[in-house]
Amino acid sequence: MDVQTLTYLVVGVTFAVYIGIAIKTRAGSTKEFYVAGGGVPPILNGMATAADWMSAASFISLAGIVSFVGYDGSVYIMGWTGGYVLLALLMVPYLRKFGKFTVPDFIGDRYYSQSARTVAVICAIFISFTYIAGQMRGVGVVFSRFLEVEVDTGVYIGMCVVFFYAVLGGMKGITYTQVAQYCVMIFAFMVPAVFLSIMMTGHIFPQLGFGAELLDATGNSSSIYLLDKLDGLSTELGFAQYTEGSKDMIDVLFITGALMFGTAGLPHVIVRFFTVPRVRDARSSAGWTLLFIAIMYTTIPALASFSRVNMIQSINGPESQGVPHVEAPLWIENWEKTGLIKWDDKNSDGKMFYSNDERNEMNVDRDIIVLATPEMANLPAWVIALMAAGGLAAALSTSAGLLLVISTSVSHDLLKKNLMPNISDNKELMYARMASGAGIIMAGYFGINPPGFVAAVVAIAFGLAASSLFPAITMGIFSTKMNKEGAIAGMLAGLSFTTIYIVYFKFVNPAANVSENWLFGVSPEGIGMLGMVINFVVAILVCRMTAPTPQVVVDMVESIRFPKGAGEAQDH
Amino acid sequence: MLQQWWLHNKLKRLINNNKLGRPEHLQTHYQYLLTNFNQPISKTDLLALDIEMTGLNPKKDQMVSIGIIPIINGQIQPKFAQHKFIKIQGSVGQSAVIHGVLDKDLNNALTQQEALDWLFAQCQHKVLVAHHAQLDLQFLQQSLRKTGNKSFPLFAIDTLLIDKKRQFRKHQVLNTGSLRLNACRERYNLPIYNAHNALTDALACAELLLAQLNKMGGLETITLAQLLESH
Amino acid sequence: MDNSELQPIFDFMRKLAPFDSLQEQTLKQCCKVLTIAYYSQEQKLVHVDNNEPQLYIVRSGAFEVSTQEGKLIDRIGEGQYFGFSGMLSGEKVVNQVHILEDGLVYHLPAVMFDQLRANCHSFDRFFNQAFAKRLRNQSSLKHNHISTARITNIMSRELTTITRDATIHQAALLMSEKRLSSLIVVNDGELCGILTDRDLRNRVLAKGLTGTLLVEQAMTEHPTTIKPEALIFEAMLTMSENNIHHLPVVKDNKPIAIITSTDLIRSQSSQPLLLIGQIDRQNNLESLIQVSQKIPDLLFNLISSDAKAMEIGRVLTSVTDSLTRRLIALRQEQLGPAPMTFCWLAFGSQGRQDQMAGSDQDNALILEREATKIEKDYFKQLSEYVCSALNECGFPFCPGNIMAQNPKWQLTLQQWLQAFSKWIKTPDPSALLNATIFFDMRPVFGDLSLFKQLQTTVLKNTKNNDIFIAALSQNALQSTPPLGFFRSFVLERDGSEVKGIDLKHKGNALINDIVRIYALSVGIEEVNTIKRIEALIALSAIDKDIAMNLLDAWEFIAHKRLTNQGQQFNNTQPVSNYILPDSLSSLVRHQLKDAFKVIHEAQGTVKHKFLRQF
Repeated sequence: MDVQTLTYLVVGVTFAVYIGIAIKTRAGSTKEFYVAGGGVPPILNGMATAADWMSAASFISLAGIVSFVGYDGSVYIMGWTGGYVLLALLMVPYLRKFGKFTVPDFIGDRYYSQSARTVAVICAIFISFTYIAGQMRGVGVVFSRFLEVEVDTGVYIGMCVVFFYAVLGGMKGITYTQVAQYCVMIFAFMVPAVFLSIMMTGHIFPQLGFGAELLDATGNSSSIYLLDKLDGLSTELGFAQYTEGSKDMIDVLFITGALMFGTAGLPHVIVRFFTVPRVRDARSSAGWTLLFIAIMYTTIPALASFSRVNMIQSINGPESQGVPHVEAPLWIENWEKTGLIKWDDKNSDGKMFYSNDERNEMNVDRDIIVLATPEMANLPAWVIALMAAGGLAAALSTSAGLLLVISTSVSHDLLKKNLMPNISDNKELMYARMASGAGIIMAGYFGINPPGFVAAVVAIAFGLAASSLFPAITMGIFSTKMNKEGAIAGMLAGLSFTTIYIVYFKFVNPAANVSENWLFGVSPEGIGMLGMVINFVVAILVCRMTAPTPQVVVDMVESIRFPKGAGEAQDH
Repeated sequence: MLQQWWLHNKLKRLINNNKLGRPEHLQTHYQYLLTNFNQPISKTDLLALDIEMTGLNPKKDQMVSIGIIPIINGQIQPKFAQHKFIKIQGSVGQSAVIHGVLDKDLNNALTQQEALDWLFAQCQHKVLVAHHAQLDLQFLQQSLRKTGNKSFPLFAIDTLLIDKKRQFRKHQVLNTGSLRLNACRERYNLPIYNAHNALTDALACAELLLAQLNKMGGLETITLAQLLESH
Repeated sequence: MDNSELQPIFDFMRKLAPFDSLQEQTLKQCCKVLTIAYYSQEQKLVHVDNNEPQLYIVRSGAFEVSTQEGKLIDRIGEGQYFGFSGMLSGEKVVNQVHILEDGLVYHLPAVMFDQLRANCHSFDRFFNQAFAKRLRNQSSLKHNHISTARITNIMSRELTTITRDATIHQAALLMSEKRLSSLIVVNDGELCGILTDRDLRNRVLAKGLTGTLLVEQAMTEHPTTIKPEALIFEAMLTMSENNIHHLPVVKDNKPIAIITSTDLIRSQSSQPLLLIGQIDRQNNLESLIQVSQKIPDLLFNLISSDAKAMEIGRVLTSVTDSLTRRLIALRQEQLGPAPMTFCWLAFGSQGRQDQMAGSDQDNALILEREATKIEKDYFKQLSEYVCSALNECGFPFCPGNIMAQNPKWQLTLQQWLQAFSKWIKTPDPSALLNATIFFDMRPVFGDLSLFKQLQTTVLKNTKNNDIFIAALSQNALQSTPPLGFFRSFVLERDGSEVKGIDLKHKGNALINDIVRIYALSVGIEEVNTIKRIEALIALSAIDKDIAMNLLDAWEFIAHKRLTNQGQQFNNTQPVSNYILPDSLSSLVRHQLKDAFKVIHEAQGTVKHKFLRQF
């Protein structure tokens, strides 16, 4: 069976499994209910949350980014992991107590203002939108490779699939479906990594292989460490040393911060914590979630290095002289069809060469790294098919959640609560569907004309979240004094500053997007952190100048901060 | 009118000429008839009667059973229905085919005297009703004589006569059998009872009377005088 | 040998349902005591003597029963009956019986009739059914069956009021002039009191005061009131519970009429009320159990009389409430007064006032404070008695043990508040299951203020608590109406046996769930689904179209479920909530699908509104 047929088969089977589980849980739920309270064990909930969390960005692109930029790419890993901890442990318990289901609702109530809600809604839509655009790109890459079509066509197909999944699907948000999705993803991710690790270093665990010595052709240890080899290759080919960062420390810091605080402000992830019945469960499953995310995130650097070495060697050959194109491995041919690998035989020697200087004849899209790894390692076709299924699972679960946030925010928060208060519930539902359709189309546009590779686009989404929602939420919980004027001004300032900065460097004047032109040397990916600081500053200043918070709100905030249960327990 | 006046006088005379030997009950009965003579029938208590005999000749044949059922306030009262057998001389013979009373039924039966005493006691404050009353009354009178009593005039409402008059009034030709109990009942939309038994026939007669009275203008408007016949 | 037996009567009666089910000896007795009359067309009407009720058994002829206004109710021929309505309901017969065709009629005296009903269940049921059918015919013309008739139907249109600063003299003049036994006292058009004959006697004359006294000094302040849409029998209950004879009818705080006990007696018939009255009169458990055996028949009669399902639910629940109260009172006679104030709560269907056949009991206690060991023992004895007595009276023990006799549910107000707050804060599956039961709570006996405090706090916590509401919604949406992809019915199976459509769990319960979510999200105090919907509409908290559709769907499905159970009861099949679509006419099938579609759409709205999904 060829890869294509197998891909259809595996993707089909995994989808059948998701749907099957969805139907099964639905039918069994009433019964399960009566059996001693039922409930999902935290470990499974942890897997489900991890599936939600691992977007196409982390699955497809993160290894790519690390693989290509090396050390600098690890900021993403740090930022996202840190953000998750911040969110799970510091914010969620308080937000839950407030009893609001969405971030805009929280902000609207906490800042006793419809305008604050509206601003928050706009932020949420903006963020979700950017995020989903990144997902669409990822889905497009998956489809284009495995259906052997142009990446644009892949995006179109992905748009349809995501739309149907989100609008018609009954399998969203069902814990066991997500557990299955996690299993598919982690399996798809680990299998090639393990194979490569064994082949290249003799270690089963890629995490160990990452720091181990490479094997030579005969299978004996070559006493060359993987990372040394990579550093050597990189220097030789004109890249920055793999283990050395090329970015300024400040930029790394800012990107990490933006990702971290952005994570904590991401609307679709926060909602996930509210659907867990118990705060305690939310915390213990957060622990599991961290573990499950860690399994993947710790593999990423290893996988990235393996495939980097593999890729360079298969293009440049063992002697770094280049490999004739006619002898190029099959995966290069396959990926050339998608347009994501381009070979331009500048010196007309018929050989490919990959480097960071004028010798370079290759244009390799970073997003293909994870997906191409099994092929590079000559793994069986089913592993490749599994990879496709995993990529789809990652993209679908995340984008469905995001689409819901977008469409219900538009229909409920924007239309019903602001613009058209008199529409009926059915109309509202219709607008929600329309909004998710529109959301897909716009996301598709950005998927075809990406402002950057997947992880970078997603990073911008995080930056927007960090600069707009995170401060408003944090101050909403931890300060009784913050008033609506301050919060609104802060959100607007943070969001607009960040947006303008990003739009300028990514769209208006991409040529100027070099570190010399950046403000304080902070890249667009990290500017969200600066936006966040601006948000805080503006909010506090405006708050000082305007009327204080009403006493009701002060009491409300205090009641969130100090656990109510304690007072009641004394009566017992 | 003339008949009624004559009946009225006859009753008065009977009461006034209280002959010795006439059962006391009968005296009360006459008194009752007189008092209620001009009362609407609804106010009068009636006693539907049927007698089964061994044949149709009062001289030769004997009574074997008597069934009575009272009509009080215009309603038949099965509660007070009674049915008595009477001892006879000899056997019921072939007549058993008609009335269904067998010789063995008569083992514990009343004597003729006992039967008469019982019947007159029952009808002290009632007016007798029978279908083809003439026959029944003749048998009773014959029985009185046989038991050594004097015969007395007896009065009854005869459902057969009532229907006969009604039919004549309607100028209808009477066919043979058209005045039989069941034939009459059919005209009044009454169910047909097959059992030929003194009590059943008494009931059938009572029902027929109620039907007739209703057809003739109701129990409130018809007086006893209009109905009573002397025999 | 008894030879005075009337064979023709016996033969006829022997073949006649329900007399055919009697023992021969009893039947003979019947034949004896009846009287026979003949009715002819000339009389036109059968004269019915109200003082001497009897059963009319048509031996021959034809009759027609009609209302006073001349509307036909029933046609009766040979072997059928009339005159039983009066004996069953105890009310005077106002219907007329026309004689269509001459005939004989047997009269069975009321004494015998009652005796037969008491001794023979099938006999009793036969006539209850016939009565119900009669009522249905009647109600199809005019819906005024007592149990389901409303205050609006009987209240006078004219209202005489007096201001609080008028003198007693003026009031007395007005009362005698208008021949009234009470006056409503108003202040700025709003009700502030009531002045009755009794007040004049007890508070003025008996104290030797004069007519110059002001009305406000003699009146009863804040009298018990009733809403115009209340059922008549609810007014009766209110009066008897409070021992009062006047009830102001109040709408939007404005008095619009006054109902007196005389008004109620005038409109009386009311099997349910008779039953409740009987319950209140019983002095021991055995007789209560006996009385409660009539409940299925009551239900059946109500079903046959085509009463609205929601009203049947209210009627039945009132019976259960009275039974519970009576049992508590009986037990307290033995145990003495309670050591502290407490409140007996009803949950679930009794709480929602939509009890149906075989509903199990869900109840609990709120205690004023922590009980000592002795006090605990008191409540243990009280609750165990009441719960097991209810069980014997036909309200089975709750399988989930949500009962007052379970120490787990004898909680102080504080403990209840904690329990509820835990469910609200931690909406795990078992908490949500509790929510569907406990959040439909209603006080049945005891201190109302305990209940009020609990309810107010609970609703304050649920109101606008999006996370709890979302969890509740998520849970409610797990169960969907039994419609397939192409609007075909999805039938439930038990092995190979097709059980049909579960009208309760896949129908009414889903609507109850949906409406509960809305009600809790805005903090509505009502627990009855219909009342909740009405309150939601009033608050504009729900789309009016959706709400009206849900109302209709609820009533339609519940009604179908009841009539189905009525048929099952009639055919002596086990009573269940399952219905087979094949047994329905295509019109009803279509309507049922529409009703399920309404639920489906409402679930979609809930999902979107509270879960932010679609």
